[in-house]
Amino acid sequence: MGDTKQYPEIRKRLTPGWWTHNRRYANYMVREWTSLFVALYSLLIIYGLSLWFNGSETDFLNFLKNPAIIGFSIVALFFTMYHAVTWFYLLGAVAPVKIGRSHTKPWQALILNLVLLVIISYVAIWIAILR
Amino acid sequence: MSQDIATIRVTRYRPEKDSKPFVQEYKVPYRRDMVVLDALNYIKSQIDGSLTYRWSCRMGVCGSCGASVDGKPKLTCESFLHEFKGRTITVEPMPNFPVIKDLVVDMEDFMEKLVKIKPWIIREKESPVEEGEYKQSAKELERYSQFSSCINCMLCYAACPIYGLNEKFLGPAATALAYRYIDDSRDQGKDVRFPIVHEMEGAWECTLVGECSVVCPKGVDPMLAIQRTKILGATNAVKSLLMPRGGR
Repeated sequence: MGDTKQYPEIRKRLTPGWWTHNRRYANYMVREWTSLFVALYSLLIIYGLSLWFNGSETDFLNFLKNPAIIGFSIVALFFTMYHAVTWFYLLGAVAPVKIGRSHTKPWQALILNLVLLVIISYVAIWIAILR
Repeated sequence: MSQDIATIRVTRYRPEKDSKPFVQEYKVPYRRDMVVLDALNYIKSQIDGSLTYRWSCRMGVCGSCGASVDGKPKLTCESFLHEFKGRTITVEPMPNFPVIKDLVVDMEDFMEKLVKIKPWIIREKESPVEEGEYKQSAKELERYSQFSSCINCMLCYAACPIYGLNEKFLGPAATALAYRYIDDSRDQGKDVRFPIVHEMEGAWECTLVGECSVVCPKGVDPMLAIQRTKILGATNAVKSLLMPRGGR
């Protein structure tokens, strides 16, 4: 077909700011960006745990008390929550469970997963610190 | 009965005359039951016969009248003019596709992808006609039926930024249709289709923007089909790893 085209076709390419034109595109991009904070926070925790397992508990605690790390942790917490909420919602959208004649709605998966997140987090904190 | 006037700004491209697209404004009188496609037909018959666009059924079935209406991929036959009352309506060709003329886009890439996924029932061995049809329960039908409602309007491709950034991406409709056959109990072509939907630019290219499912005029959820394709592929890969001789 390519050789038989008489006139040139034009194609409008996506510009770098394509995601600003639609609220859902913007939400998607924010969700993608927040994964960067999730990854960075994971690296920090891995570094902290490596200090802990090498016997430097004090270094680990001092590392956690560093104002920059506290600041970053607060920012990362908000972004991680946004990431978790959007992914839990998507989980419900892409893997609905059939109950009787109807399928579960995405918001039901979101609530269930958030409740599980709170319970698992509490159990982890209990095992690590409160026990 | 009084008529309102709609102001419609159509993005036009006449390759034989213009080097780039331009916007042309038209005033169209309309009644409450008129849609954007009616306005385009009015322009073509009453104002400017050179305006070029595709259409056929006028009832949301043929999937040929897709365009970007007010910045969103829509069927022009399902976009009522009164919904834009008091505002200028922009009508542009569907984004992410090469434009041939005015609102007519090049469908070649999509057509190639459609054929590539082999949208028909594949049997290892065809049964003789005397043995009757391949039977299927209502439950088995329900698994894939929504994905068979696709009308190939390509609005999902127009809404997909992943396709906009990488046209090699198999895309929403083709993957949804592949899944429609993969999940059909009568089909035995999984081994043929799996390599197609799981290649580099297949289902795994999708990063869950989800706009494809929002714009679909037939209520098909391509995002769901793509994720189910991923789940099936991942499950199969694990099975083949654990049971190399019978994991499929």
